[in-house]
Amino acid sequence: MDATSYRFDVVVVGAGPAGSSAAYTLAKRGFKVLLVERGRSPGAKNMFGGRVYVSPLKEIYPDFENKAPIHRWVTREKVSLVDGDNMTTLEYEARNSKSFTTYLTQLSGWMAKQAEEAGALLLNEITVDRLYMENGFVRGIVVGEEVLKADVVIDAEGINRLVLEKSGIVPRLKPSQVALGIKEVIKLSVEEINTNFGLEGNEGLAWILMGDVTKGVPGGAFIYTNRDSVSLGLVVYLEDAIYKVNKHISNYIEELRLHPLLNKYIKEGRIMEYSSHLIPEDIGSIMPPKPYYNGLLIAGDAAGFLLNLGYTYRGVDFAAYSGYLAAKAVEYGHDNGGYNEENLSIYKKYLEESFILKQLKKFKDVHSLMKKERLFELYPSLANHIARELFHIDYESPKILEAIKKAKEGRVGWFTLLRDLYEVSRKI
Amino acid sequence: MSTKEVRKKLRIEDILNNNVWDVDYEAHIIVDTSKCAKCEYKPCVRLCPAECYTMVDDKVLFSYEGCLECGTCRIVCPEEAITWRYPPSGRGIHFRFS
Repeated sequence: MDATSYRFDVVVVGAGPAGSSAAYTLAKRGFKVLLVERGRSPGAKNMFGGRVYVSPLKEIYPDFENKAPIHRWVTREKVSLVDGDNMTTLEYEARNSKSFTTYLTQLSGWMAKQAEEAGALLLNEITVDRLYMENGFVRGIVVGEEVLKADVVIDAEGINRLVLEKSGIVPRLKPSQVALGIKEVIKLSVEEINTNFGLEGNEGLAWILMGDVTKGVPGGAFIYTNRDSVSLGLVVYLEDAIYKVNKHISNYIEELRLHPLLNKYIKEGRIMEYSSHLIPEDIGSIMPPKPYYNGLLIAGDAAGFLLNLGYTYRGVDFAAYSGYLAAKAVEYGHDNGGYNEENLSIYKKYLEESFILKQLKKFKDVHSLMKKERLFELYPSLANHIARELFHIDYESPKILEAIKKAKEGRVGWFTLLRDLYEVSRKI
Repeated sequence: MSTKEVRKKLRIEDILNNNVWDVDYEAHIIVDTSKCAKCEYKPCVRLCPAECYTMVDDKVLFSYEGCLECGTCRIVCPEEAITWRYPPSGRGIHFRFS
């Protein structure tokens, strides 16, 4: 089919989790959908940490758990505070699971295939230059010399959102709004992963590390077990990284991989891939005031829909569900006489009624907390000092309060400690 | 590469060697290096994860071939010296396991 001579009901920009779920939902409801992707195939330009929360996806895709490319179900959660060669860890283990690990490159491929099977036309290797406007309405996309027209466009182009920027809808991103994620995927055998991490079958581990892992730059690190590989990554707040990263950033992830308390888990491995991506952080400022315009809806990272609570990241489920809601908003516009702003504003309402904006509103202050130096430097160190006082015994064990007193001596006062504790418990 | 490579510190070139690109003949990033002289921190040099920016004799040298298309350089550049677009026609990085 020649896409230029054909008029589509909807053009979706980007076959990532947001775009593909929108295209799938609309195609299933009978819309003529064009899904354009700039990569050679869907997923080729996608990167994430490693874990997806399943409930929102199950709502969109029937039988998701049995059909999607799921590597392992996360049955173990670890959150570690790192200080030099010491680590204090909170661990949670269960027999059931609400999230899984995968490669986003694979999951995006699968989601795009569902859209195609539902009737959407997928065109790869299409880099959109800008939105096509007609009388104050978005009416398609411009690709090189060509215009692909549609009644409504869903922009799910991802965090860099060059299309929205060029179309004058959002300003250029600022370092204060995002974090930089860097990941090494390390190949191991299924058996090596199960043995090294104490897992069985398709059980998986999600491990978040805070403290010394970022060498004083606000951020954190993560490890996820895939079927036969490990995703090991680093996240740094970009604004702080500009001044605090004092050697090439790849050294930071190399030191993380070589950390004696981590390297032993992956020692048989070899690197399969190295990737990086920007992560929405200051969501309030990234989110366009309206995620809808005449003839346009914005979903996924492009709209800033991502939740980082420090001990967990949620991007893919937010993206996929926002694409699903954008599709429902298109359907509403169709049934109510058109895709003007007034009709499409229903999208905002759907978002507000869903977990997406409820959660982002609830945790709107977390971002400011994540940059507090005491939180990612002093307290991880303090936790390890207390643990050392309690566990490194020659003859006499201290009382817990004695251990805390000794660890915090000259480093932080009770008042500051309690105030920070209050702030954390209020914001997270 | 040896199978024990994860036990050693690797050069960024060796890490990047595991990736797949379909490099476009035309650069998708253009840097106005005349603006780099007055830039004090030169964050692109340290923060581009693929080390596309390097310092040679006090000058910023740039190559687009190893770009991971994360967009970091574009927004950390205080001089707005970086013109950045996505590679056309499916070119550029091709992630498989990320």
